Amino acid sequence: MEMGNDVALSVRNLKTYIYTNNRCNRALDGVSFEIRQGKTLCIVGESGCGKSVTAASIMQLLPTLSRIEDGEITYHGPDGPVRIDALERDGAKMRAIRGKEIAMIFQDPMTALNPVYSIGFQIKEMLRYHTSLGRKDRHSKAIDLLRSMGIPLPERRVDEYPHLYSGGMRQRAMIAIAMSCNPRILIADEPTTALDVTIQAQIFELMDTLKRENGTAIMLITHDMGVVAELADDVAVMYMGNIVEAGPVGKVLRKPVHPYTRALLDSIPVLGRGKDQEIKAIPGQTPDPYNRPTGCQFADRCAYRVSACDEMPPETMVADDHRVMCWRYQEFMADAAE
Amino acid sequence: MTDATVTRPRTRRDAQFDRIRDREAKLAGTTQRKGRFLSKFLNNRLAVIGFAIFAVICLMSLFAPLIAQHDPMSPNLRAIAKPPSAEHWFGTDKTGRDIFARVLYGGRVSILVGLGSALLSALIGVIIGVYSGYVGGWLDWIAMRISEIFMSFPQIILVLLLVAILGQSLVNLIVIFTLTGWGGIYRMARARMLSIREEEYVQALRSFGLGPARIAYKHMLPNALGPIMVNITLSTAAFILQEAGLSFLGLGVPLSIPTWGNILNAAQDLRVLEQNWWIWLPVGATISLFVLSVNFIGDGLRDATDPSQQG
Amino acid sequence: MLTYIARRLLTLIPMVIVISFLIYLGLELTPGDAVSHMIPPDAYGSMDEDRLQELRESLGLGKPFLVRYWIWISGVLQGDFGYSLAGGVPISKIFLDRLPATLELSIAALLISTVLGSILGTISALTRGSLTDQSLTVVGMLGVSIPEFFFGLVAILIFALNLEWLPVGGRTLPGYDSFWDRLPHLVMPAMVLSIMMTAGVMRYARSSMLDALSRDFIRTARSKGMPEWRVNILHGFRVALTPVIVLIGFRLPVLIGGSVIIEQVFQWPGIGKEFVSAVRSQDYPLVMMVALFSVLAVLVASLIVDLLTAIIDPRVRLGD
Repeated sequence: MEMGNDVALSVRNLKTYIYTNNRCNRALDGVSFEIRQGKTLCIVGESGCGKSVTAASIMQLLPTLSRIEDGEITYHGPDGPVRIDALERDGAKMRAIRGKEIAMIFQDPMTALNPVYSIGFQIKEMLRYHTSLGRKDRHSKAIDLLRSMGIPLPERRVDEYPHLYSGGMRQRAMIAIAMSCNPRILIADEPTTALDVTIQAQIFELMDTLKRENGTAIMLITHDMGVVAELADDVAVMYMGNIVEAGPVGKVLRKPVHPYTRALLDSIPVLGRGKDQEIKAIPGQTPDPYNRPTGCQFADRCAYRVSACDEMPPETMVADDHRVMCWRYQEFMADAAE
Repeated sequence: MTDATVTRPRTRRDAQFDRIRDREAKLAGTTQRKGRFLSKFLNNRLAVIGFAIFAVICLMSLFAPLIAQHDPMSPNLRAIAKPPSAEHWFGTDKTGRDIFARVLYGGRVSILVGLGSALLSALIGVIIGVYSGYVGGWLDWIAMRISEIFMSFPQIILVLLLVAILGQSLVNLIVIFTLTGWGGIYRMARARMLSIREEEYVQALRSFGLGPARIAYKHMLPNALGPIMVNITLSTAAFILQEAGLSFLGLGVPLSIPTWGNILNAAQDLRVLEQNWWIWLPVGATISLFVLSVNFIGDGLRDATDPSQQG
Repeated sequence: MLTYIARRLLTLIPMVIVISFLIYLGLELTPGDAVSHMIPPDAYGSMDEDRLQELRESLGLGKPFLVRYWIWISGVLQGDFGYSLAGGVPISKIFLDRLPATLELSIAALLISTVLGSILGTISALTRGSLTDQSLTVVGMLGVSIPEFFFGLVAILIFALNLEWLPVGGRTLPGYDSFWDRLPHLVMPAMVLSIMMTAGVMRYARSSMLDALSRDFIRTARSKGMPEWRVNILHGFRVALTPVIVLIGFRLPVLIGGSVIIEQVFQWPGIGKEFVSAVRSQDYPLVMMVALFSVLAVLVASLIVDLLTAIIDPRVRLGD
């Protein structure tokens, strides 16, 4: 893949292992992708496939008992490329990137905000570390941010504590914190899973607006194919620590060439196709992370398994922007072309 | 592409991680399973040491008649306040009684009081707590209020108050400890049941038409056993400390019966404290060691039964 | 906030009534003529039977139980706590004499254990798994396992009898009564009394801090690029503090209990020492009164803890 000027962050062959209970879980086993400036990359997959570990690796927010084993994470900032994986976890350089260059919002806004500090305090804290604004300016900036996130009465709300906010409002406040220093990349880890469906749409709309207005690159982690179709520019499908298929949203969703992507798409009902549509659940379950298959991780659940699948398939480019990890991709390509 | 010479900073955990990774690589493909609870308990070195000490002290007390060479009660006027020797391992006290024998026999009573009171109060607390936690209603309300009354007294004040009313004896002491101790385990068991009650399998059992007592004791109680066991060990430790404290004041088990606290009682005399260290130091160390071992076991049990403690 | 305090007080009152009732019941059931602890004993001795009978009438002893309880409790509320059987001293005078010593000792121990315990526990949590953490864990375990009076005995042997740095016991020497004169007397009992509580607070602060550090908002704070000390102290410790304060409140009874034995070991002239001799001599009126006031102390402490947590935790402060 050629690296254009518009790449905000690139990840190459990233391996992150988790070491809890004296075991080694190869949570990410060679992951590569890039996030383009002003575009949305969606990472989809079932829970436990390594989506969140990817986000945590980029932010260097991995749990204590885990580490990046191999690979590169490069942030293409205004001052040239920075190798994030080589920075000290909580060192000054990493901290200067977190929040200011790459900001993150989390799955559960109920627990992601500190209950003992006001929303305003938690926004201003960010401004204090990454901007040179004075006390008063920080306060008015916090109010502005809340207002632009669509929170009513921001002058009053700014001094309120998280427990007085509803779930959707908390996620808006969380986004206000994340956007406060105008980051180049926003990582959103399933930001709406804990929210009502009606609120979900509002949050996504807000994120989309921010992307268009500020040119922020967004990495959105989700398990919802509907969200992908709605928001993504690029898609990466993850399964058990690998990206099994990646490419522009049109190609991946319309002409999937990996059996897992196909199975994912087949397993969701499509509105308007009526009651008779065939919804296929994916058979079996994800393997035990401590006891993985040696070859293709999806082989045990795959309807197209052949003996070659006992070995790990390589990442193959099927188009200049479309990539897959499957031995039989050519058959699926031919199939998709029909 | 950035240059390949960039190295990641190493931390103190890296060596440990390498070890785990290499071992996993060797084991790849094989499966091994050991009881999770047992392996976690055994992995906790302190808990295993604690259990060993606990077992040794218990066994030595249990077989006191076989181990001790002297009678713990009979004075020996020719060996008064003698320091440790081959004849008297821990020396003798001011009436010439063998302290080693007294520590062994004293252990019997002290452990009986501690363990006995802990088990009795657990029995009462669990029986009431499990049922009232599941069923609720007036029984729960009354039990809760009674336990609140008991728990608003500082424990030792309540114990001493009851000693003043009931009088000093071994049985009274166990009764008093049980009375003052059931509240804590009752509340713990009740709280556990309140949270288990919301789980789906309980709803399912109820829909099968099982009676409340059967659901509570047969199906829910086993899921609360972990914390109950931890609580029993910790209250055993607490009761042994209390017995020692009370007997040290001369208000616990009557002084005629040797217990760990009663042996220590002699150290209230400053002359004994300064000149006859063997009268009080070994027994104080024994109490400390025993309570320490029980606490280690309790901690080990907690870590082994608590799924949220990892790493 | 005010309504919260008021509601909290209202829930305490029935509790106090029930416990005072039980205490009075205990007083009536224990051996001894009720008149004997309601009037000074020397007056009691010089009275003839008719006069006593008259007095019983006047004290309402022939009246129904509830009326007698009412007479007794209104006396207590007006500061008439009755008389000690030993020496016939008014119990209120004993309290006035002894309470300062006990308060001095308990407050000193409370301060030591709160500060030391929470600092050590936090250090332990922040260095989780390190040698520091492991040694602190073992030391904490020793602290909760060794009987405090045994600590006291060893301390007396080393610091008072062998090194002769500190006095063996007591609170003051005749003629030397300033705080600075008393301080050497206070050092050992306060330190020894605080050991078990320090260890308890430390163990609890450690687990509370670990719990706080595992929460999502810590990750959020880190994702904002703030320095570690701010993440750990401002976000972690601040949240871990609430349960620690609650624990300290719950441990106050243990501290009061501990002081009963420690006052004995160091011959500290406080309520606890008085209580032990009252139990020994079966001085029931005094025993019951100390018990009643210890309960009041515990309840008031729990009230203060609630107020403190309300101040610290906005969810409680602003809740409904």
